[in-house]
Amino acid sequence: MEKLLKRIGEITSDPYAYVARLKEEKEKRIIGCFPMQVPEEIVHAAGLIPVVIWRGNEAVTWGHSHIPPYYCGIVRSFIDDAVRGKLGFMDGMIFHVRQCLLIMDIPLIIERHVKPEYMKLLYLPPVYPGKATRDFLRSDLELFKKSLEEYTGNTITDDMLKSSIAVYNENRSLLERLYEIRRKKPRILTSAEITKIVWAGMLMQKEDHNELLRDLIPLMEARTVETATTKIKVIPVGCLCQAPPFDVLNMIEDLGMVIPDDDLYVGSRYFANKVNIDDNPIEALAERHLKKTPVCPTKGVWDVLWADDVEEMVKLNNASGVISIHVKFCPPHACYYPDFKSRMIEKGIPEILVQVEHEMLSMEGIKTRLQSFTESLGGNNGEKI
Amino acid sequence: MEKKYKLNRLKTTNDIRPLVDQHWASLREAKAKGEMVAWASAPTFIFAFAMGMKCHFMAGYSAYCGGIGAAVDVLQAAKMGGDLAESCSYHRLHMGMAEAVRRDIPINPDAILPIPDIMIAGRLCPEMAYYAEGLNRRLGVPVLPIEFPIVFDREDVPRIKKYFAAQIKETVIPTLEKVCGKPFDYDRMSEILTVLKKVVTVRNKCWEFFKEKPSPWTLWDYGVSIAPLFYMMGNPVGIAYYEKLLKELQERKEKGIPAIGPEGEKYRLYWDGWLPWAFLGKFMRKLTPHAAVCLTGRYLWEFYPDPDMIDPEHPVETWINLYYDGKEPLAMEYAPKGALHDIGNLIEDYSLDGMIMFSSKTCRLWNISQLDVIDILEKKYGVPGVIIEGDMIDPSMVSDSQIDTRLEALFELIDARRR
Repeated sequence: MEKLLKRIGEITSDPYAYVARLKEEKEKRIIGCFPMQVPEEIVHAAGLIPVVIWRGNEAVTWGHSHIPPYYCGIVRSFIDDAVRGKLGFMDGMIFHVRQCLLIMDIPLIIERHVKPEYMKLLYLPPVYPGKATRDFLRSDLELFKKSLEEYTGNTITDDMLKSSIAVYNENRSLLERLYEIRRKKPRILTSAEITKIVWAGMLMQKEDHNELLRDLIPLMEARTVETATTKIKVIPVGCLCQAPPFDVLNMIEDLGMVIPDDDLYVGSRYFANKVNIDDNPIEALAERHLKKTPVCPTKGVWDVLWADDVEEMVKLNNASGVISIHVKFCPPHACYYPDFKSRMIEKGIPEILVQVEHEMLSMEGIKTRLQSFTESLGGNNGEKI
Repeated sequence: MEKKYKLNRLKTTNDIRPLVDQHWASLREAKAKGEMVAWASAPTFIFAFAMGMKCHFMAGYSAYCGGIGAAVDVLQAAKMGGDLAESCSYHRLHMGMAEAVRRDIPINPDAILPIPDIMIAGRLCPEMAYYAEGLNRRLGVPVLPIEFPIVFDREDVPRIKKYFAAQIKETVIPTLEKVCGKPFDYDRMSEILTVLKKVVTVRNKCWEFFKEKPSPWTLWDYGVSIAPLFYMMGNPVGIAYYEKLLKELQERKEKGIPAIGPEGEKYRLYWDGWLPWAFLGKFMRKLTPHAAVCLTGRYLWEFYPDPDMIDPEHPVETWINLYYDGKEPLAMEYAPKGALHDIGNLIEDYSLDGMIMFSSKTCRLWNISQLDVIDILEKKYGVPGVIIEGDMIDPSMVSDSQIDTRLEALFELIDARRR
């Protein structure tokens, strides 16, 4: 197991080098998909390798000439990487420009300064009622498929797309299984390790990630974990579009809390909802996009409450509290957060907000908040796990 | 001795405040009179007006809050409701108003609007929908959502137009008919557009005066005059207002009275982005001593520049076409390529010397790729520009020294290029 975790650590510690190497090894073109809603299956079916664009680990430098500091970390970091020429291994890039306002800043900058071989803007609509929205969504996905066909010169048949969907569905099933094991044995891996496993899947060719998970899961199933320690279980929520800082996840655990599950984008939200393989594949991908849960504040859902979703997760895990991780300058999450908070209060679920930034100047403020939260939950005198 | 410049205020613009006050008062009183009320984001209010509803407009309400000095208290109420300071200040104003009503927090009573029968959430900017979704969660008011996409590339316009049109026919009109319990009033929509066409026609004649050197009026004068073109649409007082404004501008030209005395502007400027509604006076006080005047701006040119596009005989189609048809579809002007085209035209048509790109820290609708846009325009037209960071409403986001420094830099750049 340590060998597999080491491999995952190598991939996620330098995704730039890994993806560049992947391109050479597989002799396939790399397509960066800006999180969170690009249907990667269509890219995969085109014979390309979709990778989910990530937030880098360096402070923004040249990017300051293109994007103000009051934009979210992943947009700033990605633009910085792009204009510094760090993403030359990406042959193409895809942006869903209706997901949030901040993503809309990216296309012109990429067109001007990076000029990838392939660039596609998606207009995937929010989950609004009515036939018009469904029809438009389907047509947007069809056009996306067509643009990839034109780029590669190859037709994407329904069978090819179904085959790619099957690969992705298998990945979702395997990650679900991984999370089931984590729920039963929360301390089997640290939360940072779990997050890295999910993140690695966003960078690797999916078949390779599936193989890795098929090797890893039996090892996790077989491993016994010390359960005598008293710890408090908490659920981290949010951190849309990007992986949470591992320092924050480690700090939560160092303070005596345990994370048995999560509602994070680089976490359970990424692999939620399989695609129905029996349907017309484009129709099936559209149906997945139109799912209202897990509730995402970017998708125009107001009749299903995010807090209700999280309450279910809290109950399922017998957790004591929720830690909202908000990426500073993420408007969808910021605008939704007060309602989430008030519903948590109504439900009697302890909750605390932690704001993270691309350049974290100090962790002390977060540490103080989390320490107080731990103490309010009863310190280390929580239930046995 | 340093020359003293002063602003020559227009008289006609004094007429706008009572009209605007009347508009918002009629909305506040609507429920008591048994009238139906809608709140709207993006230009969707016309459908409510057509149905005889009283309708608020999200950005208009926010500008009004700024104008009546209510913004700080309403933003504070939003904070008490848990809103984060980094959220869009227009969003926070609405949440603050709702919190003030729910918790009985004292704010200016003129800022309190009746809870609507429906919220029409035009999602031009995704954040325009968040306020409606949030208020639905807090107050249970039904939401009528419309995806209203900004378009990045012209080739996408036809299919997005088709989607927008389908939503209006499939969702917007039937929902309003259901809420109001009567058929959609196409005739009333035609009447509204007939008035709009007249207002726009006169307004365009006023625009011509921005080309004069010196200019007899400023972008701020026009900015405070937009209600009749937008959220007071269909009110015939708008025609009289713009006719009076046109007459005053003609008189000024004849008498040689410039907006900036004694002899007119030294710097003719473009203003990008929202107007800083709560800080119009502040900016004017900073610009006037330099004899600098803002004359055009992409935002204020979005209010239906081409009257020929307005066909009252085909009201719904007109509304769709205004945003998604013609040589310069309005839905493209928010995106960088449309912005480059529009700003370039404004620089040339109005003989501008420099650009102020106002970058809102909380509402980024007009900020899209602004730093690259300014770079491209500077290279193409030789016109320098600066970014000024701030907010339309929230004073905590506005820094005097930053504004001063950047304006001085802009004037130095313009002077250097003139030498």
